[in-house]
Amino acid sequence: MADEKQTDELSQAELSCATENLKSEEQKENLESAKSDKNKVDILLKATGDAPIMKKKKWAVDAEKPIGWVMEFVKKYLKLEPEEKLFMYVNQTFAPSPDQIIRNLYECFGTDGKLVLHYCKSQAWG
Amino acid sequence: MANDREVLREIWDGKLPICFQLDQEEIMEIQQPDPFYVMVPRLSYFPLVTDKMKRHFLRYISQESADSEMWLDYNGQPLKWHYPIGFLYDLYCGSDPQLPWTLTVHFTKFPENILLHCTNKDVVEAHFMSTIKEADVLKHRGQVMSTMQKKDHNQLWLGLQNDKFDQFWAINRRLMESHGENEGFKHIPIRIYSDDGTCNQRLVSPKNNDGSRKILQQLISEIFPDKTEVKLRTHGIMIPPDTPLQWLSEHMSYPDNFLHLCVC
Repeated sequence: MADEKQTDELSQAELSCATENLKSEEQKENLESAKSDKNKVDILLKATGDAPIMKKKKWAVDAEKPIGWVMEFVKKYLKLEPEEKLFMYVNQTFAPSPDQIIRNLYECFGTDGKLVLHYCKSQAWG
Repeated sequence: MANDREVLREIWDGKLPICFQLDQEEIMEIQQPDPFYVMVPRLSYFPLVTDKMKRHFLRYISQESADSEMWLDYNGQPLKWHYPIGFLYDLYCGSDPQLPWTLTVHFTKFPENILLHCTNKDVVEAHFMSTIKEADVLKHRGQVMSTMQKKDHNQLWLGLQNDKFDQFWAINRRLMESHGENEGFKHIPIRIYSDDGTCNQRLVSPKNNDGSRKILQQLISEIFPDKTEVKLRTHGIMIPPDTPLQWLSEHMSYPDNFLHLCVC
């Protein structure tokens, strides 16, 4: 159980110091996320085009957070410059509005218990 | 496909009178600016209809603010530009109509944590097209949008931007067709908003398990199992609870192909 507490839950605190946490996060990357929490949703982050891949791709996130919050996290994780753009797509088709709530996307487009999000640094699917 | 073309036309022609007033704190001139009155299409977006208004107020504000991004509020509530205008009115004024709708115009103190930035109309277009694509994923697994040409996509946008019903519907009708053996979409693109602005989007089938048409009342009891009397409004209309969802989607969707319904 002690290990479970250290799984890959993405919290506000982690977001603010995401880059500092990278090392410890990498050590945890083999752990499965905790499914017990009903308010968390698993997301899978996949790089596309010229975007760097993330060492750790699967995260459990607060379902009530907007998708823009995930985008900010990825930007920090990848150490992008503030002026660099990041695009995020669902179903490799559409870019959800940054204020769309993760739960809504998960309910409509989640597969196999997770929401797959593709990210890239230039527009991929228009 | 939609046969009740008159309904589509009525929805398209819906307009709202708006009275824009500049935030008192931002007026730098001794002479007070007149309010700016305009009739705007309910289906449009604020960045598409506010160029003239912006020019009207620019000379009354400080030079430093002149280049910053304009934003609007109603009663202290910042208005999200990426929602259709008519939807915003229904959300905040639906149960207590006031016409003209009086909004406050700001050039400073942009509410970063509430509003998305909109630097030009391309941003609106990108948002609009992306929402149509999302709707098409729900309706036809995205197959209609992906088989259309770029010029068709442009025509949807230009039809909305220029308020041209025929131009828009010449293309949009293809997005409103049902495919396969069964009549109806795979899922109905629908967002239901509470009065605090929170949005509920769920996978909604146009049919019940027994194959019968699903009506609005059945959806309401699925989404709000604890509430007995939930009424929903769109385009200023209380929707009769026995309306079939498929018909509603074909006729009452916004140009972004979503039904935007407000709990009232």
